[in-house]
Amino acid sequence: MSVANGKQQPRVAVVVFPGTNSEDETVRALQAVGLDAGLVHWSQPEALARFDAFVLPGGFAYEDRIRSGAVAAHDAVMDPVIEAAQAGKFVLGICNGAQILAEAGLVPGTGPLRRPTAAFAPNASGRFQSVHVHVRLSVAPERVPILAGIEPGAVIPAWASHGDGRLAAPADELARIERDGHLAFVYCDRDGNPMPAPNGAALDCAGLVNRAGNVLAIMPHPERDAWTFQHLDGSRDAARGDTAATLAPSGGIVFFEHFARALRKRVPA
Amino acid sequence: MTRTFAVTLTIPDNEAFTAFETLGRLEIPAARVQRADIWIFEGDLGDDLAATIGSIETIHNPNKHRLVERPADRPEHGEVWIATRDEAPATLVAGRSLPGVRAIRRRTAWRLLDDEGRSVPPAVLDRAVETFLCNPAFQVAITA
Repeated sequence: MSVANGKQQPRVAVVVFPGTNSEDETVRALQAVGLDAGLVHWSQPEALARFDAFVLPGGFAYEDRIRSGAVAAHDAVMDPVIEAAQAGKFVLGICNGAQILAEAGLVPGTGPLRRPTAAFAPNASGRFQSVHVHVRLSVAPERVPILAGIEPGAVIPAWASHGDGRLAAPADELARIERDGHLAFVYCDRDGNPMPAPNGAALDCAGLVNRAGNVLAIMPHPERDAWTFQHLDGSRDAARGDTAATLAPSGGIVFFEHFARALRKRVPA
Repeated sequence: MTRTFAVTLTIPDNEAFTAFETLGRLEIPAARVQRADIWIFEGDLGDDLAATIGSIETIHNPNKHRLVERPADRPEHGEVWIATRDEAPATLVAGRSLPGVRAIRRRTAWRLLDDEGRSVPPAVLDRAVETFLCNPAFQVAITA
């Protein structure tokens, strides 16, 4: 905890690997919802002890060498993150962070650590894709205590921007993911209606959660739709010329508001 | 007809070095790690295939790559190939088709070497595959 404006704020570490590229906008989104967020580099694993929660942001950790997320999952900085996850602390992975969590075995979390049972594999198109999407909460809100107060079926706007975002797993594991409530988010249209994953993901998966609901991996970037100027619908055009409206929070910030609410419940002031 | 080519870097292979570092962290004994991109071509392949693919920089840049034809479409002794499970073979390279080529499959070949430059024992390679080199959720490891 740290003190800001006279109030204790939970501390969130945004973990930076060589090749991470979304750390600043992730910190800004976390700070915008009142959290005390800061960067921790891969060479500083000991610094993680003072944090209440962890976010693995997007990018290309270790240039995606060997496989997306594979090298980072074995990095020493992941040791305290994994220990924290097992102790019940909140861990959020976005895009490359989601790939790292899958490689670390933290999501869906159905096998041993660092022995992945699922993967965010290369897109079915074989290409990097950057598209504006919506994702819908596809489990009961009680399954995701990391997003406290989120509405059933909540729809979050985000940008899918990845080459390796296709959920892949053996058939029995996919059945387990669906049956046991690990399929946290699926792709949908702006009204929440189902739509095929743009990357060919099994189950149209956009996000996975572990059994305890304290580790969440989401492929699209809600932090890239956190402000109106980033949002791809009429609101951006309507705000043109109005600085305050252009810089107003957008739908993606709601995702981080639920994360902040969860942390404040878990780490009371 | 099938023809198989291995492409290796003649400059330092950063990906192999990163694998070496990670395997060291996993306490898997290897003094060196070698990597190659494997290209398997199927179809009515002409004699000029090697020259053709050798001129496609997506596959082979002569300033930094070595292109070697392999005698078989399977790993050599001491080597493991990592393939994507349920792979749909490609038909194009860099957006262009090649004469007579009906299918193109890609693999990544890995070989771990000991201090004397010999391949590590199979059990060591197996452990490297299980713990790091292959994600069985979407990949398959092929050994000799």
